[in-house]
Amino acid sequence: MERTVEVVPAAGLHARPASSLVQTVNTFDATVEIGRGTDGADELVSANSMLAVTGLNVTQGESVRLVAEGPDAAAALDAVAAILTSTVEDEGEAS
Amino acid sequence: MRTLTGVGSTPLTGVGVVRWHRPADELTLPPRPAPADVNVEHERSRFETAQDEVREALETARTRTAASVGEDEAAVFEAHQQFLDDPGLVDDIQDAIDDGTPAPHAVSARFEAAINQFEAMDGRMAERADDLRDVRDRLLAALLGVEAVDLASLPADTVLLAERLTPSDTAALDPDAVAGIVTATGGRTAHAAIIARALSIPAVVGVGDELDAIEAGTEVLVDGEAGEVVVDPSTERRAAAGGVTAPVRDAPVETADGKPIEVAANVGSVTELDPAAARGADGIGLFRTEFLYFDRERPPDEDELYAAFTEAMAVFPDNRVVVRTLDVGGDKPISYLDLPTEPNPFLGRRGVRLSVDEHADLFETQLRALLRAAASAQGDGLAVMLPMVARLEEVTAVLDRIDAVADALETAGVEFAIPSLGAMVETPAAVFLADRLAERLDFLSIGTNDLTQYVMAADRENDGVATLHDPLHPAVLRAIDHTVTAAHAGDAWVGMCGEMAGDPALTSLLVGLGLDELSMSAVTVPAVKARVMETDTEEAAALAAEALTCSTREDVRALLELE
Repeated sequence: MERTVEVVPAAGLHARPASSLVQTVNTFDATVEIGRGTDGADELVSANSMLAVTGLNVTQGESVRLVAEGPDAAAALDAVAAILTSTVEDEGEAS
Repeated sequence: MRTLTGVGSTPLTGVGVVRWHRPADELTLPPRPAPADVNVEHERSRFETAQDEVREALETARTRTAASVGEDEAAVFEAHQQFLDDPGLVDDIQDAIDDGTPAPHAVSARFEAAINQFEAMDGRMAERADDLRDVRDRLLAALLGVEAVDLASLPADTVLLAERLTPSDTAALDPDAVAGIVTATGGRTAHAAIIARALSIPAVVGVGDELDAIEAGTEVLVDGEAGEVVVDPSTERRAAAGGVTAPVRDAPVETADGKPIEVAANVGSVTELDPAAARGADGIGLFRTEFLYFDRERPPDEDELYAAFTEAMAVFPDNRVVVRTLDVGGDKPISYLDLPTEPNPFLGRRGVRLSVDEHADLFETQLRALLRAAASAQGDGLAVMLPMVARLEEVTAVLDRIDAVADALETAGVEFAIPSLGAMVETPAAVFLADRLAERLDFLSIGTNDLTQYVMAADRENDGVATLHDPLHPAVLRAIDHTVTAAHAGDAWVGMCGEMAGDPALTSLLVGLGLDELSMSAVTVPAVKARVMETDTEEAAALAAEALTCSTREDVRALLELE
């Protein structure tokens, strides 16, 4: 199951958005992988790793591809997509 | 019982348990054993234990920061926690351990790779690299058994050991918890040592590499008077340490033959006023104003300054309070001042040079507050002192400025008075011009730390020239003598507010040189008062005269019977 979304938060996939993404993924049983929308399947990284997620260096306005597998994959994708398309952020930049 | 010797810095004694403060760059990995010699099970559990420890420490730091500073600032620790448990790091580290890499080496290598990867990206990623460094250092400290010391919340009865402490490290210490400080490097006039004295924390500095041999958890006695660090002190030694060396005398003192000598305190914040009074200081010989300007977004306004000055005078209603105008420069940066970065800040834009020029606005605010404070209830004792004076033009400019401020206050109908005005003698220029300065000013005060630095051309923070940085060099003594003679000829009183003034072993020499006032860290006031009372001015003058004939520092030290 997969989905492609545009990253809305000004911080991109860094700081607070990246941190909440990783925390959220860890609450699901599904395995979630993430990569740039333009990259191929072999460019996907594990979304439960802060290092891997921030290492993608995705900025605001870029699209990312999310791939989830597992019993609650759909719910996991919804939750992650919600974070990536939320405009309510991101005091995390201040820290 | 084993004793290490260094330089006594805060002349107090404390006993406590050793904790080492080792900044991250001092964490070195032990030699790496062959993979066959590595116990994989042991290394795995060692890594997990370290992770648990760091996780707990991060949680404590997060909670405390959230409570004391705010949730936003605490968020950084959440990011650290995520890196700590990051599968991208942890899985690789565990794989490396399984292949026979000891845990510290595995952690170091994996984090190093991640840090390099992040630093190869843009600016924002570089910040992440700093987060990774923090987590790595915490893990390595836990793995290597080096305590990651949180300086602001050390447990009670800690004796803090370090290669060196920065001034901000020292300022963060809780004097109620820290029983002593011992550093391998540093001298007693370094800023960190001065702060330790202001906080009344027993301290011995410059112990050398031998300090490394003292392990965390050992009980030690820090004797800041003798300059000794005693490992596992005997009951007798502890008992001897318990006694107070000199009783506190609230009243001003005289020499044995009746010459009054003012023994005042140097303070760097209003919180130091009451402790100074409690130790019997005869007023404040150096009220530093810099603390009012640090750690904030904009400079203090006139009313805030006025409040600080009148608070000091209220604590010492019968004594003089000498306020030094803003003494900042390139080595003490203040965010909103936009001070230039200079290759030699000690020889650059600093002190009164800024006050009569690019920061005349801040100076004017200080003067308005000072002139108003001089007209307040205890205002008679207020005196104003200029730092880093090297030219008569500076004094003239300040006097003009005072006239202008007085006119403005008069016009505005604000009550004011003109406080007495003096200059610090820190530069050789001020020494040679002391007669001219004394004609125009009410007093001079010798700042021996900077004066020694400039006369001897020896950076006070540079251990490589620590021997040169001693006011007992004949050249410095002659500079002091010249200043005192010139000041008295010009009917100005002359004091000393450098560290030299607080050394009881030098009191009779200083009385003999003719100083009217000695101002020091409050902690040494009782001992110096006791020495003043034992001093005979004629004998002291003979001692000073002989010291001035000495050719070398060694001769002076021998004359004073110093080891």
